[in-house]
Amino acid sequence: MSYCVHCGVELDATATFCPLCHTPVADPNQPPDLRAPKPFPTQRGEVAPVSKQELALLVTAMLACVALCCGLLNVFLKPERGWSLYVIGAAAMLWLWLVPPLLARGMHLLLRLLVDVAAVALYVYLISLDLNGKAWFWGLAAPIIFWGGAILLLLGLVLRVYRRSIITSLTILIGSLGVFLFGVEYLIDLWLCGRWDPSWSLVVLTICLGLVIPLVIVRRIPSLREEARRRFHI
Amino acid sequence: MPEKAGASEWYRLDNAGVLYSALQKETYSAIYRFSAVMDQPVDRQALQRAVDQTMPRFPTFRVRIKKGAFWYYFEPNDAPGPFVKEDISNPCQPVRFREDNGWLVRFYYYEHRVSVEVFHAVSDGGGALVFFKTLLAVYLRELGHKIGNTHGILDIGEPPRREELEDAYGKYAQGKGWRWKEREKAYQNTGTPEPFYTLNVTMGFCSVSQLKQKAKGYGVSITEYLAAVLIQVILEKQHRERPRKERPVALAIPINLRAWFPSETLRNFILAVRPVIDPSLGEYTFEEVLSQVHHTMRLKINRQRMRAELTGNVRFTKNRLLQIVPIVLKNPVMSLGYRIAGVRPYSGTYTNPGAFSVPPEMEPHIRRMEVILGQATNPRVHCASISYGDLMEITFAGTQRESDTERDFFRFLVREGIHVKVESNRAE
Repeated sequence: MSYCVHCGVELDATATFCPLCHTPVADPNQPPDLRAPKPFPTQRGEVAPVSKQELALLVTAMLACVALCCGLLNVFLKPERGWSLYVIGAAAMLWLWLVPPLLARGMHLLLRLLVDVAAVALYVYLISLDLNGKAWFWGLAAPIIFWGGAILLLLGLVLRVYRRSIITSLTILIGSLGVFLFGVEYLIDLWLCGRWDPSWSLVVLTICLGLVIPLVIVRRIPSLREEARRRFHI
Repeated sequence: MPEKAGASEWYRLDNAGVLYSALQKETYSAIYRFSAVMDQPVDRQALQRAVDQTMPRFPTFRVRIKKGAFWYYFEPNDAPGPFVKEDISNPCQPVRFREDNGWLVRFYYYEHRVSVEVFHAVSDGGGALVFFKTLLAVYLRELGHKIGNTHGILDIGEPPRREELEDAYGKYAQGKGWRWKEREKAYQNTGTPEPFYTLNVTMGFCSVSQLKQKAKGYGVSITEYLAAVLIQVILEKQHRERPRKERPVALAIPINLRAWFPSETLRNFILAVRPVIDPSLGEYTFEEVLSQVHHTMRLKINRQRMRAELTGNVRFTKNRLLQIVPIVLKNPVMSLGYRIAGVRPYSGTYTNPGAFSVPPEMEPHIRRMEVILGQATNPRVHCASISYGDLMEITFAGTQRESDTERDFFRFLVREGIHVKVESNRAE
């Protein structure tokens, strides 16, 4: 039988180290018995994640019920207008936002963002149906939604999938806000006057750039970065 | 099959059950485990037969827990099982009320070891040991040994008796009840948490006669001696960490009330005492710690005080205002209450269910007994011990990576001249 040289406790014949102080057992006359069964099982009991199906079912049922009721009411109340599309669209959007993540555990962030953006597009499309706004939907709303969605996807990829430091994240966030608004003005101009005449978005972009430059400098110069980390650590 | 008294309908949880069921979550386990290491490798089929025969005799273990609008309740569980499973390295996993057919007891085997895990809302250690002892007797009978129904083994041919099913807290709650009073925050003795669902278990084995001799030398009982050693090593650990302010070190030591109030219940019937040492008052020698623990236990454990305390607890759940709060709101409130009253004022738990005695014909078949407490709400170790014959088994179990508390504890015993053997499920 081996004893721990530090703790003075007797160890099990199969022990390769002292469980109290982690000192390895090194007894040349009696090496640890590696064939005998260990005193405790080595097989871990794995635990299935909690099923969220019931919650998903409940959310689905509630949203479906709301949509159905409003749809029915629409038949009697102001049947000349499809006002219930707003409620049905909102329910569909909420469902797409909430339920797929509950059902598919570990759903990839990019896929989730894609579904969320598609849900917004769907909702706006339903609104455009009611307002006879096919022109503005395809001309303006859809491009803005897809432009925003593309930037959001890129952000998700850059910030969440590859982890960044806080300063870098902040820089990227401010920068992408500027780029998004720049794109928005471009799309508005294109739809309204048919040509690109940049004005307010240039101001926003410049402000964003002004905010970003000091951050980039702090990020690039090690001594400044260390100083910022020291002053603002949590 | 004998007629089951009172097993056909639902019943309310007792006071401790109300608390433990409200607290249950993925990161806290009110599950404890008793194990018996047998002289022969475990025969799974025989053990399963023994479980099947024993469960009907214990209707309070044969239950599932259901959520009412205001409180949880138990109802008889007629689902198949519980089934004996191969043991795992991370025992005492938190219970999920809707999984595993709703069973709140689990059975495991590994090599020579038979283990039973019980959810604390079902029963306390005292009740579970009666159940486990009966199960072991039935198991040994299945293997062809003749075992009598003595030493607390229940006759599985008999119907369950009414006294075994009673809510003993409710029965003895009378007279003046103590209001809850705030207790000072104790040193928390926490460490680095391990990944999800890991429980580090370290067991030390030593001789009861050696311990008894040592404790007798100080004029105290074994429980008091071990509790004092635990307080001492936690005090030293806190001192080493050089905190700005040294906090008191306090233990929760559950007391089996069956010894004080005549009750044969197989449900919960415990209360905790809190021996405490405040190092901010000055340094304590080990003898002084021992004397404090010894006298606190003697002073606090008496029938009148304990009755007042349990009456206060029962009154709390009888509070009309609390009763009409829906369970979804009540659980977080109880959880917060437990954090303030049951976690903050304590540095750890030490429980000693005492000697496990069996009929002489069972003795040669059991080598030793073990006990494990499930994970605490924060990453710290709980200590539990049980003795069988001349072997005292002391377990430290918790979700913290560091092993300082158990290391210092067993080193202390070794320095005191007590031989200790250590086993652990730690893999590195």
